[in-house]
Amino acid sequence: MADISSWDLTKVKEDLIDAYRECSMRRLLNGAKWAAELSSALEITVDPQILMKKACNEEYFLDFDKVSLAATYFDLKEYDRAAHVVRDLKNPLAYFLHMYAEFLAEETQRLDNASDSIGQANYDNTKLRNMKTELSSRHRELDGFGLYIYGVVLKRLDLTKMAVEVLVEAVTKQPLHWGAWQELATLITDREMLVSLALPNHWVRQLFLAHVYLELQLHEEALEIYQTFINTGFHKSSYLVAQVATAYHNMRDVEQAVDAFEELEKMDPFRLENMDIYSNLLYVKEMRAELAHLAHRCCDINKYRVETCCVIGNYYSLRSQHEKAILYFQRALRLNPHYLSAWTLMGHEYMEMKNTSAAIQAYRQAIEVNKRDYRAWYGLGQTYEILKMPFYSLYYYRQAHLLKPNDSRMVVALGECYEKLERLQEAKKCFRKAHNIGDVEGGALYKLAKLYEKLSESEQAASAYTEYIMETERRGVLSHEEISQAYQYLANYHWSRKQLDEAYAAAQKCAEFTETREDAKVILQQIQSLRSQGESSMPARFDDSMGSLTSSDHIRPGEPRTFDGVTPVSLKFTP
Amino acid sequence: MAGESGCQVPESQTKGKLNLDRLKEIVKKYIDKHHYESALFWADKIVSLSGGAVEDIYWYAQTLYHTGQYHRAATLLCSRKLDRHYAACRFLAAKCHFECKEWQEALNILDMAEVSLTKPSFLQSSINQLSMDADDSLPIRGIESSISLLRGRIYEAMDNRGLAADCFRRALQQDVYCFEAFDLLVSHHMMSAQEEQDLLKTLPLVAQCPEDEMELVRFLYQNRLKKYDKPGTHSIPQSLSPLLENVDVVVNLAERRYYNCEFQKCHKITSGVLSKDPYNSRCLPLHVAVLVELKKPNALFYLGHKLVDFYPNKPVSWFAVGCYYLLTKNFEPARRYLSKATTLEKTFGPAWLAYGHSFAADNEHDQAMAAYFTASQIMKGCHLPVLYIGLEYGLTSNAKLAERFFTLAQSIAPDDPFVLHEMGVIAFQNHEWVEAERYFKEALSRIQSVGYQHMPEKWEALLNNLGHVSRKLKKYEEALEYHRQAELLCPQNPSTYSAIAYIHALTGNNSLAVDFFHKALGLRRDDAFSTTMLGHVIEALMSEVPPIVGDDDSDSLNTSASVVLPPFRPLSFSQADTDDSSLAAHPGDNSSMMAIEEVEMDG
Repeated sequence: MADISSWDLTKVKEDLIDAYRECSMRRLLNGAKWAAELSSALEITVDPQILMKKACNEEYFLDFDKVSLAATYFDLKEYDRAAHVVRDLKNPLAYFLHMYAEFLAEETQRLDNASDSIGQANYDNTKLRNMKTELSSRHRELDGFGLYIYGVVLKRLDLTKMAVEVLVEAVTKQPLHWGAWQELATLITDREMLVSLALPNHWVRQLFLAHVYLELQLHEEALEIYQTFINTGFHKSSYLVAQVATAYHNMRDVEQAVDAFEELEKMDPFRLENMDIYSNLLYVKEMRAELAHLAHRCCDINKYRVETCCVIGNYYSLRSQHEKAILYFQRALRLNPHYLSAWTLMGHEYMEMKNTSAAIQAYRQAIEVNKRDYRAWYGLGQTYEILKMPFYSLYYYRQAHLLKPNDSRMVVALGECYEKLERLQEAKKCFRKAHNIGDVEGGALYKLAKLYEKLSESEQAASAYTEYIMETERRGVLSHEEISQAYQYLANYHWSRKQLDEAYAAAQKCAEFTETREDAKVILQQIQSLRSQGESSMPARFDDSMGSLTSSDHIRPGEPRTFDGVTPVSLKFTP
Repeated sequence: MAGESGCQVPESQTKGKLNLDRLKEIVKKYIDKHHYESALFWADKIVSLSGGAVEDIYWYAQTLYHTGQYHRAATLLCSRKLDRHYAACRFLAAKCHFECKEWQEALNILDMAEVSLTKPSFLQSSINQLSMDADDSLPIRGIESSISLLRGRIYEAMDNRGLAADCFRRALQQDVYCFEAFDLLVSHHMMSAQEEQDLLKTLPLVAQCPEDEMELVRFLYQNRLKKYDKPGTHSIPQSLSPLLENVDVVVNLAERRYYNCEFQKCHKITSGVLSKDPYNSRCLPLHVAVLVELKKPNALFYLGHKLVDFYPNKPVSWFAVGCYYLLTKNFEPARRYLSKATTLEKTFGPAWLAYGHSFAADNEHDQAMAAYFTASQIMKGCHLPVLYIGLEYGLTSNAKLAERFFTLAQSIAPDDPFVLHEMGVIAFQNHEWVEAERYFKEALSRIQSVGYQHMPEKWEALLNNLGHVSRKLKKYEEALEYHRQAELLCPQNPSTYSAIAYIHALTGNNSLAVDFFHKALGLRRDDAFSTTMLGHVIEALMSEVPPIVGDDDSDSLNTSASVVLPPFRPLSFSQADTDDSSLAAHPGDNSSMMAIEEVEMDG
């Protein structure tokens, strides 16, 4: 990784100003905005002479009248008209405007014609196909921007491989156009692919890498890059702060994320981008007041923005007004059908409303937009589980797991599926893995124990239950039913092995729960009666069993020993 | 005729008391100026003044003809038996009857003198005529070809197409500049491509043209010849490059583009032509067809309206209206207007084919076939009606008959990739994989020989079919490659995706298979084959057992066969559309829809 601090910041600033000019000339508004934002964050003055020189080249005056006319039409969103004005012009700028206007014309037309129901019913891609033919016949003569539009068209047509090639070409020819990088980022499926791409060695590449790392759930790497940028002088860039906040959000580092978003709000109070992520955060933390405040604030800024709709949707969802939430998500999608989070969130809402088929549609759309959205895959898994199609849900959970290998929820879900399919060995592996990677919801061990019980691998079951009990006690979150079950099993287990002390201790615990009280009493009585007969062989056995317990326990070798220490103590008190 | 006679006038002189020459001059001048009534008045007087000279009577008849008084003209000529002795008068009299649609009478008049005409050798008769010409100063030179042409048109009107074609051919032999005969032969599809080429070769160009014009005539005729029997290009010789801009040549180019399935380019050309020459009768049918192909109902609607307003008596106007309704899937009115077009001019082939399509698109196979049969009788030299009949038989699962008609079509147009493709489809349905592959590959090589920069999207189905057949032959790599090409050609087609997925499933590449089935289902949710397969593949993938074995495999194969159909059917239809020139492409589209539905049901 190149060291950013060694770069000539004046050059970077010049680049950014350049990028802004090039992009805004071509009406690539987001690219221009990005460049301007970064540029304004970098407080360095550059020699105006150099800028003048770059700005006033001859190319600018080629077909000046037509291009500027087209640009004004373009600004007024009369895309067809703009495209018509610059048709048949040979210079690259005019050609780009022509193609871009055509593309947007098609895009807006499709949006306007879209039906209210979700899912695009056989939409007609003839125009895009014609554009593809047209662009591919000129492939060799296209400049960086032309290649960008070509890449976008290919991507829309699902010709992913070609799209990647073309977009790489585009960023090589014109590395300062952030839009091209962004489009490329959405097409990258994994780290290997990222490494295999021949990307230009340019400072923008670092930002691209960070962006992709973020999408690939490689948050540390992303944060590192962003931090370097911030330290180099970009600390005022709201873009970078927002990215950092998103990274924290993805890492489930809620506190940090909330802090970052609050900072962002201070820097740029009228910013709407990324506010949907912020609202997710508030939703997860159930910070009702903040979410309500955010929703109202966004609504005041602009009601008809996807982010606003998403925030409001989340707000209603938190208040369990699912129908209203769906309404807002739908509105977001009307505004932009490629808006990922709305699709996923809408899927969740439909799930809440038990409308599985609509949920499936929504999740599928989300995946269409971005294959890496693990939440959508997970959601699909859940819906198919409800539909009792275990193989499907297995597949979807697995996809989600592949995308986020360290999230225990997916692994638990996988295990449950395997359990349903009676493939208990796999299920066992899953639950164990879930436990190893830090079980978020805390059910994995219990489920594992249950499995062992089912397979009558009693020793493992016992150790798993023991560990489960320890875990829950440590966390302080108790599920009465599960705990009582665990104690009951342990009591029976020890009883069957004539480990009276342990059995006694467990049975005592059992007696604390209403469900198991009767059984516990029976065991306790039996132990009492046995005790009175004689206790000679017990200690030896006890050691044995503890030994076997420890050795058989693969889960956390350290834990049983503490148990070891604890039980004897309680033993002493019980008699 | 008038013009021809005009140039001969000065030679004639018969001096009377009055200077009749001046009056005759005036008559001809009025004819040139379309003041027929005045011409008639003076011609009548000249006849009286000259005491009924043959020449004057001829001109009197001529003016009667021009004023639409056909019977009067015929009676005038016949009552004096002029038609027996003078070829020009005979021709005029017959023409008058022809105008009145009295075919038999016209034929009788022509037949009466046929004997005397054919007896002397060609050379002698022309000498005779020259002498007669000098005597009578009647516009006689080259009248034999006119007579042959008229005879041909009479025969054609009497539905005797074989004789008609012979007559046209004779007319052309007699006068190679007689474009009308050539045009009728070509535009009414009276000869197969081979026969057309032969005719062109045997034309007595050397005898009749000056050397410098030979190339011109040959090029212009060659340029008009059949374009739909095989994809190809045609270049213009260097010396004739000024003709590049000529509307006829440009339209021919557009037509070629149309048959090469380059619809966008064709549309560009035809729109250009029509903007300069809005009612170019040759360009219009082509433009209508290409509008249908590109699915521009609005443009077609407007064009139809304008045409019907300006030319309510031309079949192409109603053809455009019919095509509009066909495109918007209103089959009832489509049929009504198309049949109106065919009644206006029975030989208007495109309307017949479109009429057939209007039934075919509606699944009315029998009626569609009836229409196509009529078309095939009218357009003997065109393989399209036969091809469509074959298609209809194929759709009604009558593979044997379908094959017979395809073979017939192939004998007419041996190089047409569409025919080859259809034969491949039939072979495929008969499970003759090797045979099918051969046909498909041949079709593909025909297409590639054109040397497109980009292959037209129409051929996506061919590539997919090649993929299917390669899969059947267990050449999985090849099959994948074909499907990928198809995907490139026409992205986001669910059937392509399911085909790719199926191959991945067969080669045990389950995770990719699942991916592609998902893609296919994302685009077409109710695709039963993909749904079932996805279930199997996911199960296989999840249990990491080798994919689909035994029963499962054969099962899925069957299903796949039905899946295979959709690409074929649409193609076949659409191909049909493509082929026949002016007739509409849209039925193809409809049919493709039908095919897809069918598949779904099968699945």
